[in-house]
Amino acid sequence: MTSTIEQLDADLVTDEAVRPDLPWQTIVWDDPVNLMTYVTYVFRSYFGYPREEAERLMLQVHHDGRAVVASGNREAMERHAQAMHGYGLQATVARAEA
Amino acid sequence: MIVAGREGGADGVRIVLETEEAMLLSELADQVDSVLLLGGDDDPALGRLLPNAYPDDATNARDFARYTRESLVDGKRQAAQSVRDATATERGSGIVEIELDQAQAWDWLTFLTDLRLILAERVGVVDEDADEADEQRDDYLRAAYEWAGIVQGSMLEVLDPMQG
Repeated sequence: MTSTIEQLDADLVTDEAVRPDLPWQTIVWDDPVNLMTYVTYVFRSYFGYPREEAERLMLQVHHDGRAVVASGNREAMERHAQAMHGYGLQATVARAEA
Repeated sequence: MIVAGREGGADGVRIVLETEEAMLLSELADQVDSVLLLGGDDDPALGRLLPNAYPDDATNARDFARYTRESLVDGKRQAAQSVRDATATERGSGIVEIELDQAQAWDWLTFLTDLRLILAERVGVVDEDADEADEQRDDYLRAAYEWAGIVQGSMLEVLDPMQG
C-alpha cells in the first residue's frame, strides 16, 4: 500500500516540481482573421472581464502578437485553451517564464 | 441583411436575410460541417479550427488533442448545423426572418468564425499563377469571407456579452 501511494505521489509531482513557483498560462495569439470586436466579446463573455480589461488584452494580442489571458494550474489553463479553440481563437498552454 | 435587437428587449438578436443570402449561408454551413466531418489531419483549414495547444511539446500536444478534439469537433459541427437548419429555405419565398436567443447567437458567432478561418485558408493557399477559374473561385470565396465578417460584426453591435 505504502509504496503504491508513494509512487503515485512521485508521478504527480514530477512536472509541477520543476518550478512549483511558476504557474501555467493560457496564451491567445494574433490571427488576422478574427474581428477585434469578436475577440473582445469572447474575453468579456467567457472570462467575465470588464470591457476595459478585455479591450486591453485584445489590443495586446493585436499589437504584440500574443497575450496571457489567464494563469493558474495547468488543468484550468488547458480548459481555457480548449474553450478558446471552441470560439475559434488560436490559444496555447505554457508554463510562465521565469 | 438586417441585424437588430429583439422585440421587448429580449436577449439575443433578430436577423432578416434575403432568400439568396439565407441559401448561401445554409450552403456554407453545410460545407463547414463537411470539413469538420471529413477533413483529414493534413487539411490546413482544420488546423486553424483545431490549433496545437503545445507547439513546442509533441507529447503534450498529442495528449491535449486526444482529450479535446472530439468535443471541439462536436461543438463546431453542432453550431454549423444549427445555422444550416435555421437558414434552410426554398427559393422565391422572399425574406427569411430568424430570431436567435443568446445561446443560438453563440452558435452563429462561432460558426461565422470557423467559416472565415476556413475561407482564409482556402484563398491563402492559391498561388499567383492561378488560372482564370481559380481566380473566379477566389473572388467568390473572398466575397463570402467579407460578407461573413459583416454579418458577425453586425451581430456583435447588438449582442451584450454579459447576458446568457
